Amino acid sequence: MLAAQIFAVIIFVTMFIMIVLDKIERHYVTLGCGILTLVVVFGICMRNGTAIWQTIAIRDFVKPEFWYQVTESESKGINWATIVFIAGMMVMVEGMAKAGFFRWLCMKIAFLVKCRTIPVFITFMIMAAVLSMFIDSITVIMFLAAVTIELAQLLKFNPIPMILAEIFCANLGGSATMCGDPPNIIVGTSLGFSFFDFLANTGLCAGICLIFTIIFFYLVFKKELTSNKGEAVDISKLPAPSTAITNKKDFIVSTVIFGLAVVLLVSHSATHLTVATIGTVIAVITLITAGKDAVSLLKKVDYKTLVFFVGLFMVVGGLEETGILEYIADFIGDISGGNAYIMAAIILWVSAVASAFVDNIPFAATMVPVIQSLAASTGVPINTLAWTLSIGTDIGGSATPIGASANVVGTSVAAKNGYPVSWKRYCSKLAPATIIVLIISTVYIFARYL
Amino acid sequence: MSQIIISVGREFGSGGRVIAEELAKRFDLPIYDRHLITEIAEKTGMTASDVEKLDEAPKSRLTSRRVRGFSNSIEDNIAEMQFDFIRKKAESGESFVVVGRCSESKLRDFDCLCSLFIIGDSEAKIKRVMEVYEMSESEAKSFIDKKDKKRKRYHNYHVGLHWGDSRLYDLTVNSSRLGIKKTVDFLESYIKARQDAAANKK
Repeated sequence: MLAAQIFAVIIFVTMFIMIVLDKIERHYVTLGCGILTLVVVFGICMRNGTAIWQTIAIRDFVKPEFWYQVTESESKGINWATIVFIAGMMVMVEGMAKAGFFRWLCMKIAFLVKCRTIPVFITFMIMAAVLSMFIDSITVIMFLAAVTIELAQLLKFNPIPMILAEIFCANLGGSATMCGDPPNIIVGTSLGFSFFDFLANTGLCAGICLIFTIIFFYLVFKKELTSNKGEAVDISKLPAPSTAITNKKDFIVSTVIFGLAVVLLVSHSATHLTVATIGTVIAVITLITAGKDAVSLLKKVDYKTLVFFVGLFMVVGGLEETGILEYIADFIGDISGGNAYIMAAIILWVSAVASAFVDNIPFAATMVPVIQSLAASTGVPINTLAWTLSIGTDIGGSATPIGASANVVGTSVAAKNGYPVSWKRYCSKLAPATIIVLIISTVYIFARYL
Repeated sequence: MSQIIISVGREFGSGGRVIAEELAKRFDLPIYDRHLITEIAEKTGMTASDVEKLDEAPKSRLTSRRVRGFSNSIEDNIAEMQFDFIRKKAESGESFVVVGRCSESKLRDFDCLCSLFIIGDSEAKIKRVMEVYEMSESEAKSFIDKKDKKRKRYHNYHVGLHWGDSRLYDLTVNSSRLGIKKTVDFLESYIKARQDAAANKK
């Protein structure tokens, strides 16, 4: 077992370093490391065929509870529910983007507040948070940042503060629901939580934090955003929201499908449909209604991310099966002396700091089995640790330009349009905002759960 | 005159930039080298010297990340803006000379592309850099190594193929053999031959 543990750790650390170095595309890295885990750790060192099957978890697809779940259950190995759900949502989002939904929504809201800079700033922050509760934050920021730049050029303000605030709020909104951010999907599907469980716990925390965030960003960015106050702005120069719609029928259909996805997610604890089922249903409906465009929608799905997840779960499976994650759990248990406050604080702040610099998805995937062990050995409720982990990984990612995907996309869209954002510029405002939100979250967790 | 794009890659100190400028003069073409820096500076609101620091520079792997083709690295984004700029120029049918910027690979789809890579003997490059930058021999040597290393990392990161690999270029020429002027004469005749061949094809 010792050799298996050593190899599992070597493969995991190598994977992390290679992801950070970005020399080889990350999906090749995780898949290669995942296959190494199966062959070297489970095959050669452990000679354990069962562990390989448990990690591949392909049999999950034929289990009724994978599609319809009456009681909560936990998953091991490759978390296919996460992958199927993300794939389904990717198909839906591609359909919505093609129909012009996101651009239309951004323009519509800007026009509703008459394109005045500060109201646009505030409504776009709220919109970033709300949309990210249901849609991946990459898509949200891609469209929001593009429209922000367009508005900035007409209204003559610097779009960087607004884009930075949108990025932060998108990450914050993502923490509010089970499907908002990949770490939450992993936590939710691994531990059997529902959409409402998240909404009532991380969602409430995110809502409180959003109020403070809006106030904070208003105060720190107000001067920059209103520097051109007084200049007359002709909003008739802006394209009308309706021009964003590429095809009215597609637009209506994609809006209805999005509405259906929201209803299915909100009601899934009552309908007992799993997120895998919801993802599949949404994808199938999108493809059927797309008709001859179905193939082009399928081609646009980000398969690299899906492969990344498959490899990642295999590598984490190696750490889990060899008992490495139990050591980490024991270590956290020991240094906290069994004190739930210290334990929660460690999970929250360590998750946040780690997520600020490394991809929060592998971090969350690794930490889920750790908190399971920790809950079993110390008696601290798993729910408390799960919400703490979700909040920490989701929020921490906002602190640096590389902490979360939305940050990379937002700063990249800004730079490509002539507004480069340096690390200094980014961190000077978003790192303090992250710390404020983490302090609020710590108080929330202590007050509510401990 | 039919479209012609002359891409000049170069080792630092080989005189590649001077050769590119001379070719631009002889063919009466615009040259995109420092011009690209000014262009990006105007677009981004950065100073030209800030852009120059990031020009043809590899990104820091530890402080940058790439997601679905988007990158937070300013170096990456400046590079992408330059690639877009030269590609748009090429697509518009304009003839020009471009120095570096992975242009031999980024514009390889264009039949009118003449891709050149200029190298030089080590001693000749050191001598040249000592004269141009008023440096000692050791300073010039380490300056050349530093610059070439930077260009190589930049190129290999954005193209995925090796900088200076002769298979990427139509011609790889050692400017130390004939000197700058005669190297330009030789390259001029090659480019004219290419133009004639293209005209005969039509």
